[in-house]
Amino acid sequence: MKFLNKIIFFYYREYKLNLSGFQDILTNIIFFFVSILIFIFSIGPNKEIISLVGVGIVWTLLLLSSTLSLRKFYQDDFEDGNLLILHLNGLSFGFIAILKTFSHFFFVQVPFLLSIPIACILLNIANDKLIYLSASFGIGSLILSCLGSISSSMNLMNQRNFLLGSVIVMIFSVPVIIFSIGIINMEESFNSLINILFGILLIVFAINPWASGLCLKLSIENN
Amino acid sequence: MKFLVNPSKFNEIADYIFKPVLILSIILFALGLLFSLIISPDDYQQGSTVRIMYVHVPSAWLALLTYAIMTLYSIAALAFRIPFGFIFNTAVAPIGAVFTLICIVSGSLWGKPMWGTWWVWDARLTSVAILFIIYLIVIFMNLSFENRIVREKVVAIFILVGSVNLPIVKFSVDWWNTLHQPATISKFSKPSIDPSMMTPLIIMTFAFMMIGLAIAILRIKTEIISRKSNLG
Amino acid sequence: MIIVKDLSVERLNKKIFENINLSVVSGNITILKGRNGSGKTTLIKAILNIIEPSVGSIYWKGKLLKKNLYDFYNNVTYIADRTSSLKKLTLKDNINIWKKLFLSNINNSQIEIALKTLKLDKYLNQKVGRLSLGETKKLEFLRLIIENKNLWILDEPLSNLDDDSIELMKQTFEDHCGKEGSIIFSSHQNPGIYVTDEINL
Repeated sequence: MKFLNKIIFFYYREYKLNLSGFQDILTNIIFFFVSILIFIFSIGPNKEIISLVGVGIVWTLLLLSSTLSLRKFYQDDFEDGNLLILHLNGLSFGFIAILKTFSHFFFVQVPFLLSIPIACILLNIANDKLIYLSASFGIGSLILSCLGSISSSMNLMNQRNFLLGSVIVMIFSVPVIIFSIGIINMEESFNSLINILFGILLIVFAINPWASGLCLKLSIENN
Repeated sequence: MKFLVNPSKFNEIADYIFKPVLILSIILFALGLLFSLIISPDDYQQGSTVRIMYVHVPSAWLALLTYAIMTLYSIAALAFRIPFGFIFNTAVAPIGAVFTLICIVSGSLWGKPMWGTWWVWDARLTSVAILFIIYLIVIFMNLSFENRIVREKVVAIFILVGSVNLPIVKFSVDWWNTLHQPATISKFSKPSIDPSMMTPLIIMTFAFMMIGLAIAILRIKTEIISRKSNLG
Repeated sequence: MIIVKDLSVERLNKKIFENINLSVVSGNITILKGRNGSGKTTLIKAILNIIEPSVGSIYWKGKLLKKNLYDFYNNVTYIADRTSSLKKLTLKDNINIWKKLFLSNINNSQIEIALKTLKLDKYLNQKVGRLSLGETKKLEFLRLIIENKNLWILDEPLSNLDDDSIELMKQTFEDHCGKEGSIIFSSHQNPGIYVTDEINL
């Protein structure tokens, strides 16, 4: 019961923090829509081409804009010592990683999930594809959160080259993109592809607490 | 076998074998080039371009082999606290990257006359490109951390996470329908390659292995010295 | 309560400190003294089991600390040399978060009294980022009261504080020791606080 309370109050804390930094989340969303705008203008306002490449554009930009906020994943809590305090409060580093991953999913990825329908209207994507897009991003974004947790915990002590973190996320999210786009383009094999995505999610989810926990521990040890 | 995990033992052995390995690699390269460029026959389909294989295939194998050994050393370093694994990872990553680059470049030179394009995004090529980028990330990570203890462990963790790509590279030609041909040489069945082509391929593979080993010995020795003097 | 035996810590083949012996019983105030960079923070981290010592062992209530880790963590308040309060939130939010995070059963009037003695009550609805460094530091000490634990481990608690606050800390330390609590703290200057043990690094 005590443990459950700690989890609930961890999320209360995350909620308070994200509420006060709400403009950050909003900026992410705005970045997403502005990039869509730029894409449309660089391709030209031809409706057929746009609806052809639209799904790819949405996925690419979702990936790019969700990696924008990676810097904040652990950095703030690491720098003011809150990670250590949470750990001393009885949460292991691996467990903190899991909690943080879900927090990133709720506060960064879910707003994107909600803004997908609007993006689909802008890009002329048919309604039936919208469902597949949302489903694939629903699973894919959790994978991205896990990858983000791993890469940003790796780069906590890396003061010189933070872009490396985004590159790591992007390179590992290639299979996610492949199978997600596969879901949308080959609707008949929806079941098998979504199972593969689930498989990837489970693998990443299993690696995440181990890798992130170890990296967090290392960074705090040597800070 | 202690020299595989102990820096000072490694230094002793390395002093002994460095010159022989270097000479052996030169001899093997001379022999291999002779075989592959002059003695071995043209392919009935591909003509003379098949000779690119004698560079392409060994470098691809060695790129994979290097990463596999790095993975093993990462496990050893993290799980059994063998610091030599970290030394090895730092020293060898650029060698693997170069092998991968040779593989990619020679492959695309081979692809242009055969497939009519420098590059296609099929599974094998994509996964090898990802392997190359993973190597690059390992190198950049090695360059961008201030704190050595954090750096080497984080890099080892990254190598472990990145090793999921290895089976994908290896089996991509079997799992997906790709333009790239499936493996012609495997351990379990009789290879579907003619012995006259097999010989230069084997010789070239050993030549690549030896030159890689020679450079690795040099780099590992440098790394050990720089660690002893607390430079890196 | 806590016994440190022959503790040595090495980083990158460089010895930071060797053979530290330390034992803390309830009612004790232990000071870790030393110059900047002499390893005070490292020793504190080693005691908190964040850093692996190269030699030596730490015991908590008669058992090895490692085997008894979460019981130890349940009984210790650690305040780092940096402030952990969330800069974007108000004092009130911070206090609420701490209260919930540490499952504290302290009531509001106690906190109000503490805030008043720390002279922070008028800032209650301001963001922490606006406070001065000393005030943020004082806010950090509110955690001592909120967490309400036996052993306090404080890293450089007296830096950046004015004389009144140091006097207040003195009082608080003495009160805590009177209640069978114990304190380990580090300082690079002479604090003028009554201490029972002194470790020179």
